[in-house]
Amino acid sequence: MKRQTAEIVREYGPFEGSPKVHGVTFDGERVWFAAGDKVTAFDPQTGREERSIGVPGSAGTAFDGRHLYQIAEDRIHKIDPKTGNVLSSIPAPGGGGDSGLAWAEGTLWVGEYRARKIHRVDPETGKVLRTITSDRFVTGVTWVDHDLWHGTWEGDESDIRRIDPETGEVLERLDMPQGTGVSGLESNGADMFYAGGGAAGKVRAIKRRRQNG
Amino acid sequence: MDSLITAAALALSAGDALGALQRVALRDDPPALALRGIAMAQLGELARAKELLRKAARGFGPREAVARARCVVAEAEIALASRDLVRSPATLREARATLEAHGDRINAAHARQLEVRWLLLTGHVDEAARALEAIAPPGLPPAMGAVHELLAADIAMRRLRAKDLRAALERARTAATRARIPSLLAETEKAFRILDQPVARLFTRRGPRVASFAEVEAVLASKALVIDAWRHAVRQGRTVVELARRPVLFGIARALAEAWPDDVAREDLLSRVFGAKRPNESHRVRLRVEMGRLRRLLAELAEVRATARGFGLSPQQPTREVVVLARDTDGDDTVVLALLSDGESWSTSSLALALGTSQRTVQRALGTLAAAGKVQSLGSARARRWTASPLAGIAGFTPPLLLPVRLPID
Repeated sequence: MKRQTAEIVREYGPFEGSPKVHGVTFDGERVWFAAGDKVTAFDPQTGREERSIGVPGSAGTAFDGRHLYQIAEDRIHKIDPKTGNVLSSIPAPGGGGDSGLAWAEGTLWVGEYRARKIHRVDPETGKVLRTITSDRFVTGVTWVDHDLWHGTWEGDESDIRRIDPETGEVLERLDMPQGTGVSGLESNGADMFYAGGGAAGKVRAIKRRRQNG
Repeated sequence: MDSLITAAALALSAGDALGALQRVALRDDPPALALRGIAMAQLGELARAKELLRKAARGFGPREAVARARCVVAEAEIALASRDLVRSPATLREARATLEAHGDRINAAHARQLEVRWLLLTGHVDEAARALEAIAPPGLPPAMGAVHELLAADIAMRRLRAKDLRAALERARTAATRARIPSLLAETEKAFRILDQPVARLFTRRGPRVASFAEVEAVLASKALVIDAWRHAVRQGRTVVELARRPVLFGIARALAEAWPDDVAREDLLSRVFGAKRPNESHRVRLRVEMGRLRRLLAELAEVRATARGFGLSPQQPTREVVVLARDTDGDDTVVLALLSDGESWSTSSLALALGTSQRTVQRALGTLAAAGKVQSLGSARARRWTASPLAGIAGFTPPLLLPVRLPID
């Protein structure tokens, strides 16, 4: 297992009226984050808040190229980011104990916080297709370059880790500085992770080094 | 943090305790238990709230020391609000140390405010003052700042320092106004009234009279020889002779001072101090011994002189006044009633702890008060709690305990 200290490149926020950051996602231009009673987008170049949609967002956020998926209480809502309308809704696999959310290859991946699990879920029906077990509380979940990454946060300790999606084995770890938690997690598809900072109200950009093979 | 916990916390911070409960009612994981505990506390279900928080604290894992410490603090706050003083504050101090070590300054300060409150309720005024000084008010949220100043006011009041009391109350009012919490502002305004109320009785050459805080402070600052029945001491300026552990000596001193500049007949002293209805020779011997002790202790301040019929008190400088400073009313039952005037329900053991007296004494006082319709009890045996009856007609002064708004899970 490779283990390094997470390199925080930039911090965004705290944002006015959004004391906490829950889920985080990236639509190719903007970073979206769930702020409790709304979902807010900002430009990662300028750090400026661009818009907010008034849908409840109490945990993970994901983007499938067209829609936002947002965990609210014990449901996952599919949302039109242009209008903020909820298009459909499925039960969340953890029954409300859910944390992170990611979209990859036609399915949703949902972290279940204290159960230390990640579920692969059918986005149409909510049916659980598969479950991977972690050894830490699971927060954000994201896919990048065919790799599955998730955030962990237990008390003061937090890291971002790459795991084997079949076995759950930890392949790589980026340790966060003491007291710096990761709530939501998303990659920008290139060399950066965006990590929600929970009650710190921040989103942090964290360097991701490409694999050498 | 998971989805429903986040949603429930959001509801709770918006004042919707029932909405929060609805979301986590069926969950028994530690964050859910903690949230349920806080929600129950806000709904006034203190016993259940304490139980839930204790369970939550036990459930948090070794990496979640901060979450556990916050539960301990919340539980201690509820214990204080329900006047359960018997539990030692050691666990609270430990939790505070954990919070400090993890940089949770606000919750650590909150824990310390609770320690101060516990110390005040159990009569450890100097320790309370020291603990309060360890908190730096700048940077505290306004509501906590207001509580800080109300605690400072409480200390000033117990030390009979009118100027400090007024200053602390002014600062409390400013902070409460900034916090915009009506109950806190109301508490501050209520506390201001204590400044004008009679709080003590003074026995002077011209007879007894009631006095306000400012007058009490003026007497203590004057050159008078003060027999302080509030704290069982004889004082003049900075010279203080503590007699708190010598009740007989204090009783003699007070009797002599009340008679001053006259003397007191030996028989009167015997009946007053020893409760002797038919004094015998052994009483007289004992009085002589006690007089000798008192004479030595007070030598610097006053002369205890023998007269033809008994004893008298003469200040070392004849121009000095002699004043007795007593509570507005005396007796165990009055003090018990004063404690109950905070409107909370107290157990006998907590009252005894707060008064530094025995449970038997407290029970006796409660019996008298209950017979007079001034207190009422709820429950039986160990669960029995006492409250002042609404007809008791007494003004209280209790800095509020704001039940936790900072959630133990974050």
